[in-house]
Amino acid sequence: MQLLVQTIADGLVLGGLYALSAVGFSLIFGVMGVVNLSHGAIVMMGAYLAWFMWHALGVDPILAIPPVMLMLFGFGYVYQRGLIQLAVERSSHVASMLVTFGVALMLRNLLVLVFSPDLKSITPSYAGHPLVLGGVVFDPLRLAALASSLVLLGALAWVLQKTRMGRVIRATAQQELAARLCGVNAQHVYGLTFAVSAAFAGAAGAIIGIVIPFSPPDEGLWTMNAFVVVTLGGVGSPQGALLGGLLLGIMSTGTSQLIGPSFPNAMMFAVLVLMLLVRPAGLLGNAFAGSR
Amino acid sequence: MLSAAIRAHRWWIVATVVLVGLAACVPFVLMPFYVRVGQLILLSAALGLAWTLIGGFAGYWSFGHAAFIGLGAFAAGLFEVELMKGQPLLGFGLGLLVGAGVSAVAAALVAWPILRLRGIYFAVAMLGVSQVLAELNNNVDIFKGSMGLVLPRIAAFGLRPEAVFYYILLIATVVITVIAFAIKNARIGAGLMAMREDEDTARMLGVPTERAKISMFILSAALTGALGVIYAHSLGYITTSSVYRTEFSLNMIVYNLLGGMGTIIGPFIGSAVMVILTQVVLGQLLSIHMFITGALLVLLVLLAPKGITGWFRAGLFRKRAGGAE
Repeated sequence: MQLLVQTIADGLVLGGLYALSAVGFSLIFGVMGVVNLSHGAIVMMGAYLAWFMWHALGVDPILAIPPVMLMLFGFGYVYQRGLIQLAVERSSHVASMLVTFGVALMLRNLLVLVFSPDLKSITPSYAGHPLVLGGVVFDPLRLAALASSLVLLGALAWVLQKTRMGRVIRATAQQELAARLCGVNAQHVYGLTFAVSAAFAGAAGAIIGIVIPFSPPDEGLWTMNAFVVVTLGGVGSPQGALLGGLLLGIMSTGTSQLIGPSFPNAMMFAVLVLMLLVRPAGLLGNAFAGSR
Repeated sequence: MLSAAIRAHRWWIVATVVLVGLAACVPFVLMPFYVRVGQLILLSAALGLAWTLIGGFAGYWSFGHAAFIGLGAFAAGLFEVELMKGQPLLGFGLGLLVGAGVSAVAAALVAWPILRLRGIYFAVAMLGVSQVLAELNNNVDIFKGSMGLVLPRIAAFGLRPEAVFYYILLIATVVITVIAFAIKNARIGAGLMAMREDEDTARMLGVPTERAKISMFILSAALTGALGVIYAHSLGYITTSSVYRTEFSLNMIVYNLLGGMGTIIGPFIGSAVMVILTQVVLGQLLSIHMFITGALLVLLVLLAPKGITGWFRAGLFRKRAGGAE
């Protein structure tokens, strides 16, 4: 019984991370129909930026989240307007997938060149004092990670639902032409969407840095995770990403507990394929551009 | 239809025969390193062609064809190591059939559900299938994916291994080219290309879309599986990570994109350009190899969305239109 609770608790912490790291991917896919294979690389950029700020300047990783988000916001906007938009116009959505893959390779190579291929981890002073609640062990670091993931996801949901920018993004996702007729600059909105997505990927990276040691090749793993979360939960909404992320987290810890420690990945992809076949729109499916 | 196509393409066929003749001389003329480069170009072109049967002709871009390379390699490898001890050549011959057969069966099992998905959803589902198979191959001990498998040597009698595999791949490439040419110019090829443009309309006009795409998917998987067997033998020792490589899946797409999607000459041009660029020109720059490959990919999609053949064709049409005026 205690083992079960511990497994679920670990799964929830991991799931919060999965959800946050996938929400940007989901937004881009939902609004533009672009599969961003460089998403994991942007997550890794966030992790390395946070590591650099902690290592070189002594900034607490949680406090490093806002500046990291700001930097990647700019990066995402330029990336979309400069590259992705061109690729979609000149070729197709499937071909734009290759462009993002190319960028992922470039970013991974750059990270290796700048930061070396070794494992890095961020260890602030409050690391390693476990908290025991009713026989279940919580690491305060992981709790802080889960809490910041939830806060950020809530903030994104608020931005999308309540602010002008969020309304414009949702309108463009629902129907680009109608939005443009109402005076929305769709190109700019796509740029903004990408920027928001990159910012949240960066925040996820900073938090991942606290919880798990990381190295540049991990980017592929985080892209794949984002994929599975989005197909599980549904495209284009923070709620879907949260549900998908938590499910994936529990599934992952559950599989390694019940079947064997080397099987979570196989399980993850099997679920991905099954979900695509049974319900491609995800559990909280949203009929945005990408899923139509 | 086929005989008319042969007549229409007779100069192309003559040129191909001459090229194959020239290619057969390569191992006698060039240094072993360049024979290996040639081997890689042939393998890449053949893989690209096998991919294009479903990806280029029917428009179903598979992002997980590496699964069939891995399936073929490990099926044949296990078969040869466990059942064909001491008979490397017979084992290799039968291994080709086993590899192709296992890939075909696996493709047939997933074909019906997975080919109902279109566009990006199909691409992603195939990526998922290849990841599941790779993970299982790596983690279930009887497949020996993580330990690795040493394959029997088939380049015996003092023959140079790179020349042996060069010729095997040359034969395989010729066979696959003939198959692709026959399909493209047969009734089913016309049906596939109609599906690529608009599947619902094609179906309405009487193209048996379901049957056409399923059979093409299985054929493509079988050919990729056989190539996987050859590739495994040319490596000599295989692990999960050396044959189930996502780069393979993506490279098959890149060769076609670079050369020209849905054409037969496309994968040849694409693989020759990519292999020569990455192996010969950039072979020394290992630390930024990945960066340059990525940059090439980006430039490729932006500058030549229709591939190199697309460039030529555009130039040709412009000239013709200019002459008519």
